[in-house]
Amino acid sequence: MIFSTELLIQTLLSGLMVGVLYALMALGITFIYSIVKTINWAMGEFYMIGSYIQFVAVHFLLGPNWWWLAAILAAAGTFLLGLILEPILIKPMYARPLQRRDDYATVVTIALLLLLRNLAVALGGPNQYRPESNLPVVWIGPLPQEGARVAACLFALLALATFWLIIKKTWVGLALRAAAQNRVAVQTAGVDVYRLDAVAFAIGVALAGLAGALLAPLFMVFPTNGAVTTVKGFEIIVIGGLGSIPGALVGGVLLGLIESLGAAFISSPYQNVYGFLLVILILIIRPNGLFGERGREA
Amino acid sequence: MATPRLQPPLLQAQGLSKRYGGLVANNGVSLSLARGEIRGLIGPNGAGKTTFVNLLTGIETADAGRIRLGDVELGGRPAHAIAAQGLIRTFQVARVFESLSVRDNLLLPFLAAGSPGGLAAGRARLGELLALATLANLADDRAGTLSGGQRMLLQACAGFMVPGVSLHVLDEPFAGINPVVKDTLIQLIRRENASHACTFLIVSHEMDIVRRLCPIVSVMIEGAIAAEGTLDEVARRPEVIAAYLGASAA
Repeated sequence: MIFSTELLIQTLLSGLMVGVLYALMALGITFIYSIVKTINWAMGEFYMIGSYIQFVAVHFLLGPNWWWLAAILAAAGTFLLGLILEPILIKPMYARPLQRRDDYATVVTIALLLLLRNLAVALGGPNQYRPESNLPVVWIGPLPQEGARVAACLFALLALATFWLIIKKTWVGLALRAAAQNRVAVQTAGVDVYRLDAVAFAIGVALAGLAGALLAPLFMVFPTNGAVTTVKGFEIIVIGGLGSIPGALVGGVLLGLIESLGAAFISSPYQNVYGFLLVILILIIRPNGLFGERGREA
Repeated sequence: MATPRLQPPLLQAQGLSKRYGGLVANNGVSLSLARGEIRGLIGPNGAGKTTFVNLLTGIETADAGRIRLGDVELGGRPAHAIAAQGLIRTFQVARVFESLSVRDNLLLPFLAAGSPGGLAAGRARLGELLALATLANLADDRAGTLSGGQRMLLQACAGFMVPGVSLHVLDEPFAGINPVVKDTLIQLIRRENASHACTFLIVSHEMDIVRRLCPIVSVMIEGAIAAEGTLDEVARRPEVIAAYLGASAA
């Protein structure tokens, strides 16, 4: 492997760009956990649904020029799906007194994962699709960047900014931040915490759906395409700390960087291994993650 | 206490019961509060006072009994719906939102109630309460940096932010806080009671404060209301003395 500054910068750039999208996925997982206090194991399937919506919208309805509208549709579609599914699947965990909430949520969301995955096979077959992209190569200095990758990164940054605005500046955001700290107190303040759960779940899965839509031209569309991304999402959660929003962002970018550096300078077939090495390292040094404070309460 | 009431009571709790396994925490608690009253609720530790407050405010569901606030039946409603009906509580260990600013802690219940009277009215109320609670210069600090007493003040003020609240239930608001903060809280309670006709149910062990604030107290013993009257009246009742000091003292 020959080292060059150009290769290093190129590698850092592409790592950064993919990292932002990983962060989107991890943010969704951590955000749902911080409000609903449960892990949604079907996160990757919402990523998958987002990528299918993107493909159908671009290929059959809108054409590649309207990729950004398709991405908005994918986010909106997964948001609505989350809003509908949460009250049916997750809410009973709180509304009825259950002894093992975590077990319940795990079983229900894994069942959802299997259902959605098989539904995708039934509807679209086991084939791989790819939405057309006509975005030109972008030159950053002397370095060429794939257009779809740059666009995905910029759009993801826009989505992160929107997320930040909603959380920091709106009253729903204030209620969400309060609920993340104390579910009982937020209820006694007059907030319907169950509705808030549905909104949080919907926002979280919409982030995954959007990641799926934006990555569709790069990582393809097929029934199990969410699996790898989910694993990466959880790697980031371990790196950044469960329930920590800055942890999800920093962890996402860190994972993207490490993967692309490892692929470029060590060996590219092992791209997915470098993240796990980082995870093991973090577990040894800081078991609660970079930004995590407390362990998970069982 | 047999004084005839001219208007119907604001709160009527009848026969509230709650058991945890074999332990009967509340055994048919009945309590009614007149509009504008400041009622004390006293009783030895473990008498079921906090359970009663939890049942009233929907944190837990009663096994039996009825709760009415004005004309509205509250039994079985979720906690947020009870708050929306105008029954707001504080917790013994102040549950403030530690990473939110003091200001946001106060705004949340106001916004949750749908900003009654408009945001400008809310801001004015916010400023007024911050000044009364002597928290004005801490408005932008995180609530997690406040002392225990300040948290208690903040928690009470959060309830005062909503104009439609008719009943405030304060669970041990004076426990473990310094005398200056205690006085500030007493003044706040008196002021809200006088100017907004708010009714209070105050659970407390601080007999001096109960005597100053509450013309009538209810005594809870072993999961039921055992006596009602002025503090000095009930303090003479043998069953009350027995409950506080042990049966041999009666």
